[in-house]
Amino acid sequence: MSFFRDALIALSFLITAYFVLWNVSQMAMGPLAAVILSRHRRRHTRRARRLATGVAVPPLVSIVVPAYNEELTIVESLRAMLALDYTPREVVIVNDGSTDGTLALLQRTFDLVPAPLAFVQPLRSEPVRGIYRSTSEPDLVVVDKENGRCKADAANAGINAASGVLVLVIDADTVLAADALSRAVLPFLEDPVTVAVGGSVAIANGCHIEHGRIVDVALPRSWFARFQVVEYMRSFLLFRLACASQNAVVIISGAFGLFRRDAMIAVGGYDRTAIGEDMDLTIRLQRYFRARREPVRIAFDPNPLAWTQAPEDWQSMRSQRYRWRRGLLQTLWRYRRMIGNPRFGTVGLESLPYVAFFEGLGPLVEGSGYLITIGAAVLGYLNWKYCGMMIGVSVFLGAAVTLLSILMNDLTSRQYMQGRDLALLVAVAILESFGYRQVNSLWGCVGTFQALTGKGGWGSMKRQAFRP
Amino acid sequence: MTRLLAEFARLAPLLVWAAVGTALTMAAAVVVERTAVGLRRALNRRLTQRYRPLIQRALEGDQAARDALLGSPARHRLLLAWLMVEPLIEDRDPERIARTRALAQALSVFQLADRYLRSWFWWRRALALRALGLVQARDHTAQMVAALDDPHPDVRAAALDALTDEHDPAALQAIVVRLHDTSLHRGRRGAVLKAFGSDCEPFLLDWSEVDPDNRLDYIHALAICGTARSRPVLCRWTRDPRVDVRATAFEALAYVGLDDEAARVAVEGLENDEPRVRAMAAYALRGWQGPGDAAARLAPHLDDTWAVAVNAARTLQSMGHAGLVELQARASRQDLSGLLARQMLWQAGAHR
Repeated sequence: MSFFRDALIALSFLITAYFVLWNVSQMAMGPLAAVILSRHRRRHTRRARRLATGVAVPPLVSIVVPAYNEELTIVESLRAMLALDYTPREVVIVNDGSTDGTLALLQRTFDLVPAPLAFVQPLRSEPVRGIYRSTSEPDLVVVDKENGRCKADAANAGINAASGVLVLVIDADTVLAADALSRAVLPFLEDPVTVAVGGSVAIANGCHIEHGRIVDVALPRSWFARFQVVEYMRSFLLFRLACASQNAVVIISGAFGLFRRDAMIAVGGYDRTAIGEDMDLTIRLQRYFRARREPVRIAFDPNPLAWTQAPEDWQSMRSQRYRWRRGLLQTLWRYRRMIGNPRFGTVGLESLPYVAFFEGLGPLVEGSGYLITIGAAVLGYLNWKYCGMMIGVSVFLGAAVTLLSILMNDLTSRQYMQGRDLALLVAVAILESFGYRQVNSLWGCVGTFQALTGKGGWGSMKRQAFRP
Repeated sequence: MTRLLAEFARLAPLLVWAAVGTALTMAAAVVVERTAVGLRRALNRRLTQRYRPLIQRALEGDQAARDALLGSPARHRLLLAWLMVEPLIEDRDPERIARTRALAQALSVFQLADRYLRSWFWWRRALALRALGLVQARDHTAQMVAALDDPHPDVRAAALDALTDEHDPAALQAIVVRLHDTSLHRGRRGAVLKAFGSDCEPFLLDWSEVDPDNRLDYIHALAICGTARSRPVLCRWTRDPRVDVRATAFEALAYVGLDDEAARVAVEGLENDEPRVRAMAAYALRGWQGPGDAAARLAPHLDDTWAVAVNAARTLQSMGHAGLVELQARASRQDLSGLLARQMLWQAGAHR
């Protein structure tokens, strides 16, 4: 009995130590991220950004947009893409067998007509049913294909049809910043070993959108989406920036990723069996070039280049988190031989071990931590005072990390600068530790169970039209 | 075990206080940063409202506005310099640049720039270089050229931007010499050549003769700024033993434009063993409507490897009647080349 008691208490202390280590490691990313942010702000001046248009032959960028049942947002998003400040570019919409009126709406709005388009298909995808071109927008191509039951399949079809040297793969509900392309192509123009560029993605809920452009940034009205705002900040402005500083990026968000087309084709494009196809592709690119001892750089732009809708209802969010979790674990398992392997440089020795130890184990340790600590207190093995202290450590360190990411966000883009926004963000930093994090951990545990048992599907997100 | 746990329990309150302290420090940092930004923004807004109209009037020749600017405190000079120079990023009107330069001279902005050029901080050196380039301060060309060897890559990039904006022929030789310098941004090397245009051509042709190892870079450069003068040399290089050089020479010919002889060479290039060379030879013929049977020689290449077929199809589309006839002859085929021909015909019809 005494052994059981000691083991329980030791376990609860170990879990606290894990939490402390996790949060301290995130805090340690702050200085790395700050250096990158400061350098980025000083480098990417207005004059420096003019390079994208001043360069002798600007690279053609194909914007590939997989669309499945996106009739609520597709027209607005597409108008914004066609109004981007970068040329030359083309937009390739891939209608992935939508069952709603996506294709009909596109046909009506953009005067689409069937048109021949010849292309080789180096990447596998479901059969293409038809190709349409717009008589009013010469830069628009619509590929209508059989549903492939995954975004990867549609993205591959789009990459096949794309004629650009660079391919930007985005979600259909992504709202791009007007200068997103001219910013994102810069690393390719500056450094020939750049194979991909990821961009920071912010949450569009609550923002005022006109003609597919964010005209006023505001925090979402729902607390649920507000929690996700700080979650995105933590993810994009701490971990990914720290990875970028070490040339060890392991994930480029599916909402915005610009890739060299030849590199994508060399690694076989998106894997149709991958659940987290964006992370899978990023790691595959790193593995491909590093295994061949070829120089490679995957860059990351900390400015919000794209805005995406966050789920505001429990069901959508739950299925999204289950999917993310399954995707993460599947990817870590697939590339387990890279973890700790010096052959893959900073990816093998830094970012992947970090992801595996903290992101991979995190929800399980967090979930069991709450159970064990509270259980030990209930059984009388642990003083309630110490139990409260452990939870306090996790709450305050978590809040500190969130506040650090808010600071980073201020340094990057100066969004949410109203006094009310600050008060709300601080409140979110504190409140997310009381319920939201625990629910997330629970979903993480269920996602892990699904990954281990091979259950679970893609899920669906309740789409909303952009608020004018 | 019990002792270890006791020790851990002793540390727990310390941990809590450390966590609370960290959270409060972070909260304070956010508040301080926001306050500082808010104050700086308010001050900048006030000064901008005061100085922007004065600068505009001074640039239009208003002596009173100029005197008011000259009487402004020295600590405002940086902001004044920014307000003067920033519009020049988009507005490259030579008249405005000259007036801005004269005003900057009067306001001792160049002394400030000189101080920044000697700064230990790279971003100050970069800022000064870009500003000097935007106002075309040709008495600073030597510093800009010297900055191409700065230890910091962003300062080297700023020096290239400055030389691009400054457009001083005196810097041309130094730029061409650094064409292969991979420590300079690739895109910026191209941008500066584009800015100088055909002024670079004589240097490039000279260097390419004496430096055959780097011929590929010179051809790339000629593709950006070459003229008819480069054509015979490029035709000669289409017979270079190196595949890269041959292919790029054809690509450059496409930019430079063809004459009868160059078109003949390009048609010959269609029979080259290397697909890359054939693809670029097809590309070089784009828009050619002169004598010869180029369209008829191109058409069979619709069945070639994909890169060659695409270039051949696009070139046929651009060749007018002769090209369209060849495309129509293949449009009824059900294979990929037939589809390619139909696509080109459709596009030609849609764009007409």
